[in-house]
Amino acid sequence: MTPDGTPVFDRVVADAGEVLAAALDRSLTGTAVLEPGDAVLLDGEGRGVLGIRDGVPVAARHAGTGRTGADAVADLADAGPYRVTLYANPDGPADAGGAVDPAVPADLLASDVDLAARLREAAPADAGGPADSADAVEAFLADEETIAGIRERAREEAARRAEEWGFADATE
Amino acid sequence: MVEAFAVASGKGGTGKTTATLALGMALAEEHDVTVVDADTGMANLLFHAGLADVDATLHDLLVDDADATVADATYERFGMRVVPCGTDLAAFAAADPARLRDVVAELAADADVLLLDSPATLGSKSAVLPVVLADRVVLVLNPTVPALSDGLKVQEYALSYDTGVAGVLFNRVRDPAAVENVRETGAGYFEGPVLGSVPEDDAAAAARRAGEPLLAHAPESEAATAFRDAAARLDVRPGDADDVAERFRRAVVPDEP
Repeated sequence: MTPDGTPVFDRVVADAGEVLAAALDRSLTGTAVLEPGDAVLLDGEGRGVLGIRDGVPVAARHAGTGRTGADAVADLADAGPYRVTLYANPDGPADAGGAVDPAVPADLLASDVDLAARLREAAPADAGGPADSADAVEAFLADEETIAGIRERAREEAARRAEEWGFADATE
Repeated sequence: MVEAFAVASGKGGTGKTTATLALGMALAEEHDVTVVDADTGMANLLFHAGLADVDATLHDLLVDDADATVADATYERFGMRVVPCGTDLAAFAAADPARLRDVVAELAADADVLLLDSPATLGSKSAVLPVVLADRVVLVLNPTVPALSDGLKVQEYALSYDTGVAGVLFNRVRDPAAVENVRETGAGYFEGPVLGSVPEDDAAAAARRAGEPLLAHAPESEAATAFRDAAARLDVRPGDADDVAERFRRAVVPDEP
């Protein structure tokens, strides 16, 4: 079954970490369908579905085993390369199975400790919480020191990366 | 005469592609507009513009010895020229995002306004490239703390690369009071004006599902009206097309995606 949403990524990846990182970088909300290479012969029965919110995996389901959550992710492990299709759906992931710890897919599918840490850090402590409220925005904007710090760090990062990436001409 | 804008957010989920096409359609009332999906890593625009089934995309222009021409991957839709990007594995693997500068340089010759729908991340060289190449950025943000924080980061990147800030467009706004806070307290942090505040609107999701830009699908919707108002506040400052093309061609660009 095809999840709701707009397909934004449809590729075979040797490393599932690549697609988890792409979804995180773009704060994607939607669904990832992972089909191991050998699952093509299984008529889709080997396919797993990850629900993703704001770039962070939040749910998992395995079509073949019927298991959900971390068990479903384990059923997909060591099965790459995967054909991965990402569906963006701002309304949220639908029918993506049981809840999963944000770092579990990176741990089990990619053995990527750094990515797992980034995902854990990005996971909201209380999704849809106070960061969205007008009061939180007001408090943030009133904190001139914090904002100056964000801007300063971004400037430093941009300059450093310009050098690394060969954009140096653009900054001269 | 042309001005190139990178429509950027630094964070996903702000409705950037919806905004890019909405601004494009509104600006096309007065200008020749070309919209380019510059997120070569995660295409999106083609689904918003009814181009999911086309043969040639930007990917085909970014490969070695490309057979396709820029004209082949450029589609006249909704009063604009649209250059979509594909989602296909083989095309992505073979594509060299560095060639984007040559494609955009060629497109600059026939446009007054170039809108580069930019990746929602600053995580890689190719993701930052549209911000480097553009004359100015349009920041599409939600009035939330994480989105504002990321927007400030994109702004500093842009300014560091000598790219201006055309303005800030708040999108998917659920709480207008948050935007008022930014107007009153935070406007000074952003270099450009607040172009507008577009309410969260079911019409945007319906348009996406229908494969049409919002302004084509629901032109009378509240969000469409707000986008048109925002486009009217965007002061287009076209530069010499040859200068823009030359700048793009000269830009030092990355070796790897």
